[in-house]
Amino acid sequence: MKNRKICVLDAAILILFCLLTIGVITFLRPCGVHEDGSYSSCHWAGRILFGFGITGILEMVFVLLLQKPFRFGVNAAVFLQAVLMVMIPGGIVSLCGMNTMRCNLIMRPGVQVISLVIALLAAINLWMIWRLIQKEK
Amino acid sequence: MKFSKIPLRNLLHRRGRTAVLTVLVALLAFTLFSGAYIMLSLHSGIDSLEARLGADIIVVPSSAKSKVDLDNILLQGTTGYFYMSADYFDKIKQTDGVEQASAQIFLASLKASCCSVAVQVIGFDPEADFTVQPWIEKKYNQKLETYDVIVGDTVNAEVGDYITIYEKNCRVVARLDRTGTGMDTAIYTTFDTIRLLLSSAQELGHDLKISGDPSSVISAVYIKTSKDAAVESVANDINLHVRKVQAVETKNMLSGVSSSMTGISSALVLLIGIVWILVFLIIIFSFIMITRERRLEFAALRVIGVSRKMLAQMIRKETAIVCLLGSIIGVLAGCLVVFPFGSLIEVSLGLPFLTPRLSTAAGLAAGTVLGALITGILASLWTVRRVSRLEASTILREGN
Repeated sequence: MKNRKICVLDAAILILFCLLTIGVITFLRPCGVHEDGSYSSCHWAGRILFGFGITGILEMVFVLLLQKPFRFGVNAAVFLQAVLMVMIPGGIVSLCGMNTMRCNLIMRPGVQVISLVIALLAAINLWMIWRLIQKEK
Repeated sequence: MKFSKIPLRNLLHRRGRTAVLTVLVALLAFTLFSGAYIMLSLHSGIDSLEARLGADIIVVPSSAKSKVDLDNILLQGTTGYFYMSADYFDKIKQTDGVEQASAQIFLASLKASCCSVAVQVIGFDPEADFTVQPWIEKKYNQKLETYDVIVGDTVNAEVGDYITIYEKNCRVVARLDRTGTGMDTAIYTTFDTIRLLLSSAQELGHDLKISGDPSSVISAVYIKTSKDAAVESVANDINLHVRKVQAVETKNMLSGVSSSMTGISSALVLLIGIVWILVFLIIIFSFIMITRERRLEFAALRVIGVSRKMLAQMIRKETAIVCLLGSIIGVLAGCLVVFPFGSLIEVSLGLPFLTPRLSTAAGLAAGTVLGALITGILASLWTVRRVSRLEASTILREGN
């Protein structure tokens, strides 16, 4: 039963990473190109988040195939990655000047909410895997 | 096992049913919290707009597409500019019924290499202004030097930063408090500075459609009428006697906003009401079914000595646990939507939107949890009454 719960959480995290990865290039995308062909800093924030999203998908695919101790390690990495993803838009990478621009209106809150939920699910997963490992000792 | 632990055990024993009830209550709490938060923000926004407008009449050039541009500038923060000769100011000020008049000049910076941000720039006369000056004084009461600017709350610049507008570096000296209106996206400065920016814009080749010298234009005149004068008469007087201008009563602007807000509030109230009734009915029916299913259990508890009162308490506790958990989840989900996406909601609605303070939001959350708890307890009243009246011996004899 407990293993099934952990798998369900892993699957949920995988779905959220897919949503985020697809999102940053579609409905959560940053501001567009300027008239002179240059990009705002939010464009690069979007690129970084896309990279993190792909990494997250690969991590969760591996997790579904791994043994419990390795799953603990990967979930810990996912948790830290999600926390980092929350800090990227508007924190580590600055966004556009006006709060009414697309990156501030849609990209930042969308990415931060999804990342927070990923972090929460990863934290729950970590706790459940830890308990399972302790029980089996 | 202590009797007090039985309600929680019962809920954990039937996880599926508990989860469904929790989700229903969470949906109610989410709808109630988010809906109430948005309505409160809309009401605060319109109160803020009324306080900020300050003027009874705003006079603009008749070439500025009636009052649509002014609505957009003040309410939604879209950038725009229009101009008329500064001579009109004296004519307007001399109209009967005008107690106070002050002019403002609008300019829009661009999202281009000349400017670090695309914002509405509003020039005002600190000596005569009575609309923005009282509000600015609360944050900055020193003299504004040339190229000193004060930014609205949502402009991404801090005090001490420099903003480039038409290749002129302007120093940010203060940041205003949030108003929930288009004024949050504007930059305020003196007439001297904005006239220099106008000249700079023209030198860079931007056609601002100014006929004549940029130092002799204004964009709008804000009027406060005297107490014994009817606002409508003063506005009509201006429209009649001063050519090429249009006097707009601010109450008309506000009434448009108010009616839109009333429409949205009514829709939200209706939605909350529907969800509440649905959830209430579903919880009642769920408890009726649960009672029927657990008759033997209740009968067995009665036989071993659990009193009717304790049985009723057990059901109330189960209800309270489900409602508490569901409402907390619902409120948290509501927070995840309204707090991060507040700006998006504001822009989508296109109405003044001033989010409440954290303490008010916390009060709203607490009220939502309480509301959900009361709903659950009310919904379980019939069940509690039924259970406390059941005859254990009859049920055990019948087998169910």
